[in-house]
Amino acid sequence: MAVRQEEFVLNMGPQHPSTHGVFRIVLTLDGETVVKADPVPGYLHRGIEKLAEARTYTQVIPYTDRLDYLASMLMNWGYVQAVEKLMGIEVPLRAEYIRVIVGELARIASHLVATGAMASDLGGLTGFLYTFRDREEILDLFEMVCGSRLTASYMRIGGVAKDLPEGFVPKAKEFLKKFTLSLAEYNGLITGNEIFQRRTKNVGILSAEKAVDMSLSGPVLRASGVGHDLRKVRPYSIYPQFEFEVPLRTNGDCFDRYYLRVLEMAESVKIIEQALASLPEGPVMAKIPRIIKPPAGEVYTEIESSKGIMGVYIVSDGSPKPYRVHFRRPSFINLGYLAEMVRGWKVADVVAILGSLDIVLGEVDC
Amino acid sequence: MFGKGLLKGMKITMVRFFKPKETVQYPEVRLPLPDRFLGKPEFYYDKCIACNQCVAACPNNVITLKTETVEKKKIVTQYYFDQQYCLFCGLCAEACPKDALKFTKDFELTQYKRQDIKLKFVNPEQVAKKKAEVLQAALEKQAAQEKQAAQEKQASADKQIASEKQAAGNEAAAGVC
Ligand code: SF4
Ligand code: SF4
Repeated sequence: MAVRQEEFVLNMGPQHPSTHGVFRIVLTLDGETVVKADPVPGYLHRGIEKLAEARTYTQVIPYTDRLDYLASMLMNWGYVQAVEKLMGIEVPLRAEYIRVIVGELARIASHLVATGAMASDLGGLTGFLYTFRDREEILDLFEMVCGSRLTASYMRIGGVAKDLPEGFVPKAKEFLKKFTLSLAEYNGLITGNEIFQRRTKNVGILSAEKAVDMSLSGPVLRASGVGHDLRKVRPYSIYPQFEFEVPLRTNGDCFDRYYLRVLEMAESVKIIEQALASLPEGPVMAKIPRIIKPPAGEVYTEIESSKGIMGVYIVSDGSPKPYRVHFRRPSFINLGYLAEMVRGWKVADVVAILGSLDIVLGEVDC
Repeated sequence: MFGKGLLKGMKITMVRFFKPKETVQYPEVRLPLPDRFLGKPEFYYDKCIACNQCVAACPNNVITLKTETVEKKKIVTQYYFDQQYCLFCGLCAEACPKDALKFTKDFELTQYKRQDIKLKFVNPEQVAKKKAEVLQAALEKQAAQEKQAAQEKQASADKQIASEKQAAGNEAAAGVC
């Protein structure tokens, strides 16, 4: 008797925990091998760009929190920086330092989710618990600074909402000291684990040319050997003042994408330590008009968020509300190559590849 | 050797196993919250000057303010705070010039009934009291004004009498000549 064989269509998501939110991929399978993959984003679409058109410039800030909610500080930063450029506002030095400190903390927090979630996607829930334990401490620090753990809304056009509270600097220093030990723990628990390595090494290889062609950015790009980090190649804010490396990996496989984030966390620690040591006194808010009304015109600025290049494009018609706001969300653009990347791999590898891309659906769907 | 990494990982978890727990037994044990925590909002009726700045600052139309003008003074008659739409961004409290709106550390915001989610901060007694105060103040002010007006009138009348007297005196003096 002949066995009837045909391709099989499998819906992965939108309620699948390893899609890191509400993401759906329609996989066409031949046995266990992926023949075709159709990503279906959009389940978390809230129309933030449209909502922004009906808000004043300051009122948009809380909505940017909801883009990449794992690193809301960085999202705030990307947006306020664009408005500041449009209005030609000079941000006080202390505010810039605070931005760097909280921004890098947010980067660590976001990478901790990526690292832990990758481990748990591949079946090692222990690693997840360890990274989340340390992430909690960063969220505690954020809570001290702005009152919220996840959706910070901390930055304002022209500076930051409030100065650092008393006790923040010692607490942050204590955390950084502990965190260096924690990084060794992750390396022992996850990086060095043979099962984890076998599941990720040489899986989902992304070549440097293809990564550049698809305008991928962030850790995904750097794991393929392209040393493109906006903090170095097109420095903004006060990043030129700090000494840090941009870690690079060359294989472009899942393991490199994972391990690069661990290395980046160590670099962020260095930046925060330097910033805390040389934190100047002074105001945290520039002198800005009471009603924020940028001149008519348009502006585009970029920052290096935890996921890649976060760009903000604003068109102003001279009224107190933006005429158009567009966010270049790195997660969304990094997803663009997913369908190609998973073709030919097994179902279980799809989880590894998706995990290594580190998407966050608030940002993908906007 | 294959498995070395696994053993190292297990060692880490074993060491961790004998260390104190990181988690707390939530409802009984609570972690301290920082002062800036954005929990359930609180409204101080007496501080509010009905300037509407919180309403204008809110991105999501959470706050509705009802006012009434008594004796040319705006009085808040109701202050709704629809928590379900609140982003807890704190822009409203930041905009308030009188610190009449503050966020507390209460984070347990779940309610059994939907209508309980919408907070009504002002009760009728407060409004009645405030109205009475304003009226009282207006009356006092009016009385004070009247008194002052009367005094002024008196003063100007006195002055007039004095000047008339003087004029009469002058005339008399002229008559003498
Ligand atoms: S916290 Fe934000 S969303 Fe909530 S009422 Fe205040 S301004 Fe509105
Ligand atoms: S901003 Fe403050 S004083 Fe003004 S109406 Fe709101 S709560 Fe009252």
